[in-house]
Amino acid sequence: MSKIQLLSPQLANQIAAGEVVERPASVVKELLENALDAGAGRIEVDLEHGGARLIRVRDDGSGIAGDELKLAVSRHATSKIRSLEDLEAVASLGFRGEALASICSVSRASVISRSRDGTDASGWCLEVNGHAEDVVLAPAAHPVGTTVEVRDLFFNTPARRKFLRTERTELERCEDVLRRLALAHPEVVFELRHNARVLKSLPAANDLAAVEQRVAGVCGAAFMEHALRVEVDGEGLGLRGWVAAPTFSRAQADLQLFFVNGRVIRDRLVAHAVRQAYQDVLYHGRHPAFVLFLELPAEQVDVNVHPTKHEVRFRDQRAIHGFLFAALRQALAEMRPEDRLERIREVPSTAGPVAPTQSGFALRFASRQAPGSAASVRDHLARYGELGREPSAHAAPEAGQVGASLAEASDTTLPPLGYALAQLHGVYILAQNADGLVLVDMHAAHERITYERMKQAREADGIRSQRLLVPLSLAVSEREASRADAEREALAELGLVVERLGPETLVVREVPAALAESDVEGLVRDVLADLVEFGTTGRVREAEDALLSTMACHGSVRANRQLTHAEMNALLRDMEATERSGQCNHGRPTWAVQTLAELDRLFLRGR
Amino acid sequence: MKFSVSRDLLLRPLQLVTGVVERRQTLPVLSNLLVSVDGRELTLTGTDLEVQLVARVELPEPAEAGGEITLPARKLVDIWRALPDNAKVNIGLDDQRAILKSGASRFQLATLPAAEFPGIDEGAGELEITLGQNQLRHLIDRTAFSMAQQDVRYFLNGMLLEVTPEHLRSVATDGHRLAMCTLTPGTGAEKKQVIVPRKGVTELSRLLSEGDEQVTLSLGSNHLKAEVGGYSFVTKLVDGRFPDYEKVIPRGGTRESVGDRQQLREAFSRAAILSNEKYRGVRIILSEGLLTVQANNPEQEEAEEAVPVAFAGETLEMGFNVSYLQDVLGVLESEQVRITVSDANSSALIEEPGGGDALYVVMPMRL
Repeated sequence: MSKIQLLSPQLANQIAAGEVVERPASVVKELLENALDAGAGRIEVDLEHGGARLIRVRDDGSGIAGDELKLAVSRHATSKIRSLEDLEAVASLGFRGEALASICSVSRASVISRSRDGTDASGWCLEVNGHAEDVVLAPAAHPVGTTVEVRDLFFNTPARRKFLRTERTELERCEDVLRRLALAHPEVVFELRHNARVLKSLPAANDLAAVEQRVAGVCGAAFMEHALRVEVDGEGLGLRGWVAAPTFSRAQADLQLFFVNGRVIRDRLVAHAVRQAYQDVLYHGRHPAFVLFLELPAEQVDVNVHPTKHEVRFRDQRAIHGFLFAALRQALAEMRPEDRLERIREVPSTAGPVAPTQSGFALRFASRQAPGSAASVRDHLARYGELGREPSAHAAPEAGQVGASLAEASDTTLPPLGYALAQLHGVYILAQNADGLVLVDMHAAHERITYERMKQAREADGIRSQRLLVPLSLAVSEREASRADAEREALAELGLVVERLGPETLVVREVPAALAESDVEGLVRDVLADLVEFGTTGRVREAEDALLSTMACHGSVRANRQLTHAEMNALLRDMEATERSGQCNHGRPTWAVQTLAELDRLFLRGR
Repeated sequence: MKFSVSRDLLLRPLQLVTGVVERRQTLPVLSNLLVSVDGRELTLTGTDLEVQLVARVELPEPAEAGGEITLPARKLVDIWRALPDNAKVNIGLDDQRAILKSGASRFQLATLPAAEFPGIDEGAGELEITLGQNQLRHLIDRTAFSMAQQDVRYFLNGMLLEVTPEHLRSVATDGHRLAMCTLTPGTGAEKKQVIVPRKGVTELSRLLSEGDEQVTLSLGSNHLKAEVGGYSFVTKLVDGRFPDYEKVIPRGGTRESVGDRQQLREAFSRAAILSNEKYRGVRIILSEGLLTVQANNPEQEEAEEAVPVAFAGETLEMGFNVSYLQDVLGVLESEQVRITVSDANSSALIEEPGGGDALYVVMPMRL
């Protein structure tokens, strides 16, 4: 057996680097986070050969004093936290004091800095040659702030170097890191250059429109076109950001950016809450798209879980889950046709290079809140109610008279989905609104309306449970059994009466009446798995919803049912007033719009 | 193979045998019937590998040539049904095709070789009992509606048949309600319990007539065989342990009410119209001499029915799935019916006032 001995600091740093520094993009991430923690207002990134040859990050932050420079590149040295109390409430992006040391141990690096409050007349330059001991400190000219130059990454760890991809791929990853951080820090100016060519230049985004511009730059203009702004505060938590309409879904979960206190994270709890919020509006097997920023007191979240900090742990998982679910569910429920239409009207501005001075969002919120001080759902309903009455004054215009009656009605009285013109092949409703032509899949739309009504009735109805004559006994894991025992009351509220028979045996005595005929065993197992994993469950509700959804499908108008204009208009008004009316129960879209501009293009008009 | 037969002679056997054949098949030969002729004896066999039915028909004249072949069941029975009454049909083989000729009609059907047709290994019968067809039918009719449908507890998707020296009994439950019917005397043989799968029960009851001709049941360890007239029917048994039904039958219920079955049944079906269509809950209030049924639905529409019953005691309110009650009152035949309960959370026992041969247990619903 070989002898046990202490590793050299150099080797220890290289091991730490293995966790933190995987590729040039990880270096960019660490350096950008340092710059942001230093309070920079402007950050410039220079890359050469995809970051493999050179990464230079320059900021105008607080800088490092000359006598601290040497300490800065040694391990477990940081200015970000001081004590355990600080660690329990980390407010900065970094805190481990490892990044610079790790980076320096696998590259030829130099740090040039001038401290803002320092007494140094000039800046200082520290050159490190792959070894924290092998350093040269010399005065250097530098404005206030820090420049970190990382050359020849992995020059002394050939194994890592072999894992590097092509220049292009590595560059894309670096860009990705920069874009994500830029989203979380809209007030900071970012500039990215590659081989001395400017790739990206992001001016400070001080208003919402400019921020949206940044989001569109990361997620694409199509995302913004379908996005809904979310702004919810409560119980010390704040959620801001954008969620895409369920109809703008992705085949992969690749457009999901979640920031916790400005840090991009991936978290199963968050993913679950979001998926649950999208339940019954998302097409089967698709993934939602979102950019969300969660803000919460630093002591509520533990970031000291993973060296690269991609994961965090929440102190109160259940509360976070509940908050996210409720906030997103509410936002999706309130998504109305007019929101989509306004987005469509804004499209040209998101496509343009410069943010419009007049913020579309500001306008939109203003107009939404105008009619009532609180702009609650009820206000909306009241407004729709009034709108619904208006067409009766026109006495359901016949197809030939539509033009005339629309001309009489000014744009302000035209409801978002307009008035029906005709029915196409017994399947679609054609309607005319202020923007152009609206197409509605009448079965899908009616299905959603029926479904939402049934769900409301269910809420009002309370829980019914059916007692079992032959109780169902279940073999579960001991952990699940204890959880079931602890959550008996919560389960009873769902209509499930469960008792523990043995260490790994449960017996079900009552089941929700509506689900009595379904696979109770599977349901109980799913519920328990959810409780163990997330501390909360929506399974019973989902199972009931699935049942209601089938009933709604059978109870809705089918294709080839001829509708009169009055019926079609009533359906359009119902859609405007119904929650989640943009998708049917299975997540298919219920309506689409062809704007006049799009129609004009078809016929080469106005060119 | 070549023979001729009149349409009417073969229509009912064909229909019964085809009933066993599943509509959708992964194994093509299972959608066919095995037809085999030997002298004056013609047999038709249909199977879905769980249930097998063989019909034997005596031909009025001997076949010109014997042999066996499989023919598509549904098409054959559809043709047969559509032929005119009393038509005479000639059936022969030409290469791999079967030729049906009747008057000016001619049909050519695809065949599959008889060797491919799977048979069910019947195994040895351990216990044989003989009873009237109407008796067996009674046992099935009184209880079959309570069988579970595609429950994960597979042993509930069938009917328990219990033979003891004292009685012959059928029990069915879907976990929410239970039905039991007992015939005496028993067979004098030892005690045996088998679970007949749902499909076996329905197909068997189709074979049985209302008359008192005999049916012979042979109970094996894996199969149940029934000989009825010219048919022999085999079904696999469900391998599982049926719940201890005696334990769930409430004995010693304190509150008895007796009412007119027809009146109650009608009241339930009227109230059911306004019950919640998902779980069909109704509220039943038993008070001095009166049974009140209340139902309401999500639209807040309400129904209330009051039926006079013989009941004395404290007022009691319970919830039930009205379909379960309707099912029970639908199969009972007596003038009056007795409902026994002890409290709002325990099961209700429904039977004929004198006891009768059937009893029903229904679990309440928490409303």
